[in-house]
Amino acid sequence: MIELILFGILAATYLLVIVKRMPALIQGFRYQSFFIFLITLIAGLTENQPGLLIVALLILALKVFIIPFVLNSIAKKISVDENLGLLINAQLSLVVALLLTYFSWVFSGMLGFNNGHISIAITVAFSVIFIGGFLMISRMKAFTQVLGLLIMENGIFLFASFLSGGMPFFVEIAIFLDVFVSVIIMGLFVYRINKLFTHIDVNKLSRLRG
Amino acid sequence: MANLLLKQLFLFDPLSIFFLIVIGIVSLPSAIYSIGYMRGEYKRGKCILAAALLIVFVFSMCMVVTAGNIFSFLVFWEIMSLVSYFLVIFDTKHVKSVQAGLIYIVMTHIGTAFLIGGFMILYKHANCLDFFTIKNICQTIPFQTKNIIFLLLLVGFGTKAGIVPLHIWLPYAHPQAPSHISSIMSGVMIKTAIYGLIRFVIFILGVNQTWWGSLVLVLATITCLAGIIYALMERDLKRLLAYSSVENIGIILLGVGLSMFFISINKPYLAVFSLIAGLYHLINHAVFKGLLFLCAGSVYKATGTRDIEKLGGLIKKMPQTAAYFLLGAMAISALPPLNGFISEWLTLQAFFLGALDVTGGTKLFLGLCAAMLALTGGLAAACFVKAFGITFLAQPRSHYAKEAKEVSFSMKAGMFFLSALVVILALNALKIIKLLAKVASVSTGIDIGNMSFSLNNFILTPQIANNVYLSAPLLAAILIIFAIVAYAVYMSFGRQKAVVYKTWDCGYYKLDARNEYTSTAFSKPFRIAFSFFLQPYRKTQKIRESFYHVKSFTYETHTTQVFKKYIYDPVLALVLKSAKAMRRMQPGSIHLYLGYIFITLLLLIVFMRKF
Repeated sequence: MIELILFGILAATYLLVIVKRMPALIQGFRYQSFFIFLITLIAGLTENQPGLLIVALLILALKVFIIPFVLNSIAKKISVDENLGLLINAQLSLVVALLLTYFSWVFSGMLGFNNGHISIAITVAFSVIFIGGFLMISRMKAFTQVLGLLIMENGIFLFASFLSGGMPFFVEIAIFLDVFVSVIIMGLFVYRINKLFTHIDVNKLSRLRG
Repeated sequence: MANLLLKQLFLFDPLSIFFLIVIGIVSLPSAIYSIGYMRGEYKRGKCILAAALLIVFVFSMCMVVTAGNIFSFLVFWEIMSLVSYFLVIFDTKHVKSVQAGLIYIVMTHIGTAFLIGGFMILYKHANCLDFFTIKNICQTIPFQTKNIIFLLLLVGFGTKAGIVPLHIWLPYAHPQAPSHISSIMSGVMIKTAIYGLIRFVIFILGVNQTWWGSLVLVLATITCLAGIIYALMERDLKRLLAYSSVENIGIILLGVGLSMFFISINKPYLAVFSLIAGLYHLINHAVFKGLLFLCAGSVYKATGTRDIEKLGGLIKKMPQTAAYFLLGAMAISALPPLNGFISEWLTLQAFFLGALDVTGGTKLFLGLCAAMLALTGGLAAACFVKAFGITFLAQPRSHYAKEAKEVSFSMKAGMFFLSALVVILALNALKIIKLLAKVASVSTGIDIGNMSFSLNNFILTPQIANNVYLSAPLLAAILIIFAIVAYAVYMSFGRQKAVVYKTWDCGYYKLDARNEYTSTAFSKPFRIAFSFFLQPYRKTQKIRESFYHVKSFTYETHTTQVFKKYIYDPVLALVLKSAKAMRRMQPGSIHLYLGYIFITLLLLIVFMRKF
């Protein structure tokens, strides 16, 4: 069951790599977060930890509904151009994503995780982190940088929950708040940049260099 | 940090107390002087800022010399550097100040970097920050490591002290600060580096390699000569004094280096004696260089220029300042019976005693160093004849000098205090040497109980077998009697009527003050004699109407700054070039920066396997 959900996360991540427009990207993020919600829910139920259940509900509320909603509204506000501006095209991005997944697999072996689903989980977690980083690099729009960070955060959450059975409850809550606030702030920034420069193409910000 | 206990924070041994006294006797008159100096120069708020910075500066220096562990030493060392940087750039009106400050802060931080390197190696061996613990551990450190520590500390402290070729910041930074700050920087701050050398190399590390002392001696000799030759060429009064500080640091280091040399060849008496000479010159230089900088500040305040080619005739306008400057100049030129003479004489004696005591090539080496010191003394005298003569004698060379007025009371008070100290330090030489012997014995760890410096109440005889004596009060008395007799003879026989008439000018009839002897002209023989080092460059241009009539004539002369041209400029060019190459990595694209982070992360993960 857990393996299935993990593959779901991986599939959602690959989806994020190949999409070309903002709403699709947000949708992909929503799928990914939903699978993470499922995994936390199952963990909470099997281990009978009410804390984990609350965290799972928070994921559902924040990452599946509120954050995508906020992002969508920002995307609508700045919808001069919905394209993400792929520096590396979808096919090549997928190849890179696969390579990064392989790398994560090797790396999880290096860390000494060789048994069953923990190994897969660590691989998936690292893939999500790496692919989040890769998305930040290979997409032109500042919008993707925001989402890339959120994706990486998902990966880190996954990693932490499998490595140590979840972070302390309050730390978890604090991180959620952090992420939420950062989304709002970055959203505002993206909006301001868009207003000021009439575009959110980070590539063109190099004019600001001293 | 369990090893940062309060009782280890401070250290009051004779060496620290000696330096505290040096700081005190220069800072106090400078502070009094600053009251008059700052008035009218800046706005009220800025004056208060200056006073606050001065207090922090003096406080940090006190803390540096009384710090009891490496950590607090470094912290206060850095505070001292930073505060002095702010004081150098205090006069923000001038672009020059900011540039000088930049050179200063870069050099001082390079020095501090070397210091931190040396201290870290010490800490690694001792696992403790406390001076005494490290001192005990130091006996077990292998000698190669000790060599490295010594070199790091030498470069680190040498930068602050202004050893050639690390002196580059000194002639820029010292003149740009307000004069009372120059006086403290030149008089005291660069001495804290000497304190560092004595404390860390002689006291903590312990000298057991002969080449340490020899290296310091060679560097000190070069420092002396280069410093005074540059001073001789200088026409900015305060820069001249700054270069002269470089020279005097060289003389102090001759004493310290000689002491290190004698410790390593196990001659305790000579080691203590040389260190006494060095420390004596240190306090002397602090006093008379402080005095000279204050006088230079008075001249600047009164005339608004530091270019001595534009001064002249000030002895009539500012007789008191002139008298103080003359006293300081005589002391720094090592004229008997003033204090500079005594300490340089002691240093020379240390060299002679050492040369008599060793054999072979070392004899020659010490003899050569002594000869260079003697040459330095001669050049210093020439330099200060120039500084005093061109500034204070003859007719005013420009309107700056014509409108000069004597400075205010508080400035005179500061100068008077230091002048009095010059005389006191000279006439009480014997008592001071006794006190310095204690300081030297603590710093070198040599027991002086059974040593005799052959002191009785009036006469110092370091070479009793060779009938060499020194008595400052006696010398003073002889000179005064001689002067009175000479004056009496002159008054009764040689006095002639004064005739006031124009100088014969070959029928030109248009001589004015600009035709007077200038400082550049004065230093010309030296420029020629040391042309191999100064590499003078000159450009002349004549415009003639006919062969016999030159309509206009321009003459330009410069000297090449050898160290800047052959050491600093290439290094700087290299740094700039590599910085330009690095710039290509920085195109300003956020994606690329993120990519750098990402790739670094991946590489780190790959390399993690190796460890």
